[in-house]
Amino acid sequence: MSIAQPIKAEAAGRPMTVQILKSKAETALAEAFADNEARLPGGDWLRQLRRAAIGAFTAEGLPHRRVEEWKFTDVRALMREAFPVALDANLPKPAALDALVRNALPGADLTEAFALFIDGRGAAQSGLSAISELDGAFLSQFVDHPPAWLETEVSDVSGHVGEATLALNTALFTDGAVIDIEKGREIETPIALIFADADKGARTVVTRNVVRVGAGAKIVLVECHLASEAARQANTLTQIVLGDGAEVVHVKLVASRAGSVHLGRTVARLGANASYRPFQLVSGDGLVRNDLSVTFRGQHSTFDLGAAALANRQGHFDTTLVVDHAVPHCTSRELVKYVLADKGRAVFQGKVIVRPDAQKTDGKQMAQALMLSPDAEFDSKPELEIYADDVVCGHGSTSAEIDPELIFYLRSRGIPLDEAQAMLVESFIGEAIDKAEPEAIQNALRGIARAWLAGEAHIKQG
Amino acid sequence: MAAVQETIDQVKKIDVDQYKYGFETKIESVRAPKGLDESTVRFISEKKGEPAWMLEWRLESYARWRNMTEPTWAKVSYPKIDFENLYYYSAPKGSEGPKSIEDVDPELLATYAKLGIPLKEQEILAGVQGARVAVDAVFDSVSVVTTFKEELAKAGVIFCPISEAIREHPELVKKYLGSVVPQGDNFYAALNSAVFSDGSFVYVPEGVRCPMELSTYFRINERNTGQFERTLIIADKGSYVSYLEGCTAPMRDEHQLHAAVVELVALDGAEIKYSTVQNWYPGDKDGKGGIYNFVTKRGDCRGHHSKISWTQVETGSAITWKYPSCILRGDHSRGEFYSIAISNGRQQVDSGTKMIHLGKNSSSRIISKGIAAGHSQNTYRGLVSAHRKATGARNFTNCDSLLIGDKCGAHTVPYIEAKNSSAHFEHEATTSKISDDMLFYCQQRGLSSEEAVALVVNGFVRDVLQQLPMEFMAETQKLIGVSLEGSVG
Repeated sequence: MSIAQPIKAEAAGRPMTVQILKSKAETALAEAFADNEARLPGGDWLRQLRRAAIGAFTAEGLPHRRVEEWKFTDVRALMREAFPVALDANLPKPAALDALVRNALPGADLTEAFALFIDGRGAAQSGLSAISELDGAFLSQFVDHPPAWLETEVSDVSGHVGEATLALNTALFTDGAVIDIEKGREIETPIALIFADADKGARTVVTRNVVRVGAGAKIVLVECHLASEAARQANTLTQIVLGDGAEVVHVKLVASRAGSVHLGRTVARLGANASYRPFQLVSGDGLVRNDLSVTFRGQHSTFDLGAAALANRQGHFDTTLVVDHAVPHCTSRELVKYVLADKGRAVFQGKVIVRPDAQKTDGKQMAQALMLSPDAEFDSKPELEIYADDVVCGHGSTSAEIDPELIFYLRSRGIPLDEAQAMLVESFIGEAIDKAEPEAIQNALRGIARAWLAGEAHIKQG
Repeated sequence: MAAVQETIDQVKKIDVDQYKYGFETKIESVRAPKGLDESTVRFISEKKGEPAWMLEWRLESYARWRNMTEPTWAKVSYPKIDFENLYYYSAPKGSEGPKSIEDVDPELLATYAKLGIPLKEQEILAGVQGARVAVDAVFDSVSVVTTFKEELAKAGVIFCPISEAIREHPELVKKYLGSVVPQGDNFYAALNSAVFSDGSFVYVPEGVRCPMELSTYFRINERNTGQFERTLIIADKGSYVSYLEGCTAPMRDEHQLHAAVVELVALDGAEIKYSTVQNWYPGDKDGKGGIYNFVTKRGDCRGHHSKISWTQVETGSAITWKYPSCILRGDHSRGEFYSIAISNGRQQVDSGTKMIHLGKNSSSRIISKGIAAGHSQNTYRGLVSAHRKATGARNFTNCDSLLIGDKCGAHTVPYIEAKNSSAHFEHEATTSKISDDMLFYCQQRGLSSEEAVALVVNGFVRDVLQQLPMEFMAETQKLIGVSLEGSVG
């Protein structure tokens, strides 16, 4: 189930007949809640939400391959044990925090406006008070007595307890960013949300970000999840509401390391004439799942996703999105590119729903994988669910290795094999990275891709 | 873009209230007692005069079925089927045992004449010059007549009801039955394995090109019965066979279950072309009555360089739920799937195909067109997978859907699983991508892009469709020609 309410025809008669056996990790997570409930932030309203969520999680368990949406990413099997929940962040010295922010995205300056989180707890922030309407940037500061809108937004998204990882986020989130942009404000400075860690032990880190962008406002949001020194199981949810005519560029970066798990989710709701342009870059060899749920609430809005993933060793990257065209005249675009080395595995599940009234919907989707190794795997499920008759919707999905003829061409012109391969991979992934904005950030992302390629110089002959 | 007027008119012509084959034949029949238990299975086996090994096979299937739960994952909804309230065997009285055309009840002959099926060997198909088709006519649970048997036998081709094959050619049936769709494959396949009553058996020996088209025509007539037929086609090394299947049923206000199993085996270098015109009664405009068509069809390209091609035109059934598939086991084997599924009224379709690449350099192509009108729901669900050892696997998929009206739905759920870096998979849902070169060529010669697309689509389906031995053929061809304008992925 997605955040988008399923159409009735689908909801009818899909009982789960699979008997759920509690795994070690599931038991540990339920116990973590019971043991630490009193230490989790939030007033009564949140406590109730958390209890309902953990109840739903206990009933559902971690997602597994018999749950259609998790068919290719069996978290129950991949996450044998759950790490202890990080509650007391042992903060590094201020100089170390500064360095984290400066190096979060090499090649781009994120120091002007940022919020830094260490092990799921707000550690430092700067420049946000001039941007946000709120007196503070950390969600934990507000959850005891939240402004009405914040309570509504958090409750609304948390209400969808059917999705196990979302329920887990609601039950256990410790902190996150909260940003409220006044209508009409246009902010060019990128707003950075940086997630890092300090604790040397293995930890579960759960964060929730809430962003409200007023009518006609414009922002650039950059979410950086840095690779952990120690093993991390991160569960992070960013919920964004775009008012009429608002424009948001949302870059999300995940550097993943073997043994770590990143269960990320973005829930975006768009008003009329709004534009939401996310870009996601995932690299490394851990397990990453990015859920993205977009609902159009007003007409003539645009959703334009670009995503690139670079997997090596045992990297398992999953992009699952649900785009819900609930109103007419909206446009959605998705371009997702995967480069898979070693035993890298990519999963793409893209579901576009066009509801009965959503005439004149324009949807296009493309997912492509370039396989650099015979052991790589790509599973793709581009899905369309269309109930309106006057729409244009298309999707495509391809997978292949590097064309040997192209390699031959480049080599015949004196370019060494490694370089030729890197050039072709870069041009493949470049098409997606071109969608990232603004330019400084696009260049920084290209730098990350090049660095990954340089480390992957021994790619096997295509 | 919305659908163009020509398409709308064409689809209207085959709307659910235009069903032409809904008459009932008044004929006395023999039925098994209502309900399903071991004794039903024994009853059917005994009626068919089957050897003990067959009965055992059936009973084993029944035991497995007992322990299975009904699948619910498809995008279709229907009230729970009461398996105890069905007749599992029904045969026109006096139809037991082998028959020549002279012995067949004239009432039955009249029925098939009305359906446009030639059961007399001297007859040739209207409009198809010089083409002869051998027909196996299955009426409820029995095969009433099989034509051209002797002439086929001269070429070494065995074409007979499966019940006869079990008696006459047990070594072949034993070797291949259940080897493609195992007894416990799925809920409905297990049910079929337990209670299947008739169907066709084809064996084409090594190096033989079957001298004529083979065809089976399925007719459900009796009230309250399910039809469970079983088809087994074996193409030995280097042989070729083209097989056509048609189906109709009377209009009734109850739902009837049709759970068939079709198994195809193609050995080295063999080719099987399997075409279906599925025109079961679709129910009335409010969704009352109609056939539940829950069928397991699977082909096994067991040998190197073998080829299996499925072509289907689906306009009937209240619910169609099937995925004619190809297991591409042999190196250089090829699977093809061409489908046109048109749903009207309250019809529900959840159909598609599976191409499972196991052999090296195996290739497959999927072309699917779904048209949904009225209150219908039309889903394409397909799987393309390449096994680790399937180096050089190739697939091209193109599925288009078209909606007519705002009360229907068209859905696409493709699964693409590449476990091999040398596999080249392309899934396209944009009409202009059929082949840019071909389209460009046509357009260069003055065709509009829409005409060009129709021409290209026609190019690969028409040669099969022209062979269809049914009155429906003409309409089908028109349907293939319907404009693709306004189609969505």
